[in-house]
Amino acid sequence: MKCTVVIDPAAEEEVLIRAKQHSTLVEDIETLVRESDTDLIGYRDGEIAPLKLAEIYCFFAEGGKIYAQTVSEKWQMKQRLYALEAMLDHRFVKINQSCIVNVRHIKCFQNSFVGGLTVTLQNGYRDYVSRRQLKSVKERMGL
Amino acid sequence: MNHYLKSFLQRGIAFGGFGPIVAGIVFAILELTLPDFSLGGGQVLLAILSTYLLAFVQAGASIFNQIEDWPLPLSVGVHFLTLFTAYSLCYMANSWIPFEPMVLLIFAGAFILTYAIVWLTVFFCVRHTAKRLNAKLNTKK
Repeated sequence: MKCTVVIDPAAEEEVLIRAKQHSTLVEDIETLVRESDTDLIGYRDGEIAPLKLAEIYCFFAEGGKIYAQTVSEKWQMKQRLYALEAMLDHRFVKINQSCIVNVRHIKCFQNSFVGGLTVTLQNGYRDYVSRRQLKSVKERMGL
Repeated sequence: MNHYLKSFLQRGIAFGGFGPIVAGIVFAILELTLPDFSLGGGQVLLAILSTYLLAFVQAGASIFNQIEDWPLPLSVGVHFLTLFTAYSLCYMANSWIPFEPMVLLIFAGAFILTYAIVWLTVFFCVRHTAKRLNAKLNTKK
């Protein structure tokens, strides 16, 4: 079986399997890819769940705790925000001292009246971009 | 403690110290330019405290924009009234403007004009940035 690896820092990461039929090798690769995207564990009311980074809209601090927000669910994290920031990949960008968002789930940027910029995510979550983080947000967006 | 109140206090504490620094710079300029300029200890203390509170309120008031339940006109209105009240009280407490109707009217007019110019300048600059970011966002989708 031919195997091609393309390293492109700007590209959206994906694994494409082209096979004549489903096989154990295909299944193994699928499992490996799925597991590699389950990097974090979320906690909620005694429930523990693996969280896929692609499904996380943002991480935010609230009441001294850190949460991961999915499309409609909020899971508490054990890691601190700075630890999450260090381990997250290019899909995420810190927008203020208490929020890191998944760029792929950003719906739009809006201006606000006191010189600030707000980010609205596809699930309706909204938070502001601090002046300190504006430069890195612009760079991350390619400006 | 309410999240917004906490942010108001945090921002106020972080930037309140800039008020007395600015007041000190203004006093230094006045001393250099006016030969008979002098201030008593009480006046200096009052200026330090009032400008600290002014900077505290100005920094904290930026949180009004982030109260999601408030529509834009309410946010702008509360922000403007908070700053106008803080500036008016600070200026009158220090006798920088006399407590006279005509002077207060001129002060209010100048304040509204300055606020409008700053607001519009910042608004259009940030709107331009938001447009560019949204354009980039759309090209990525």
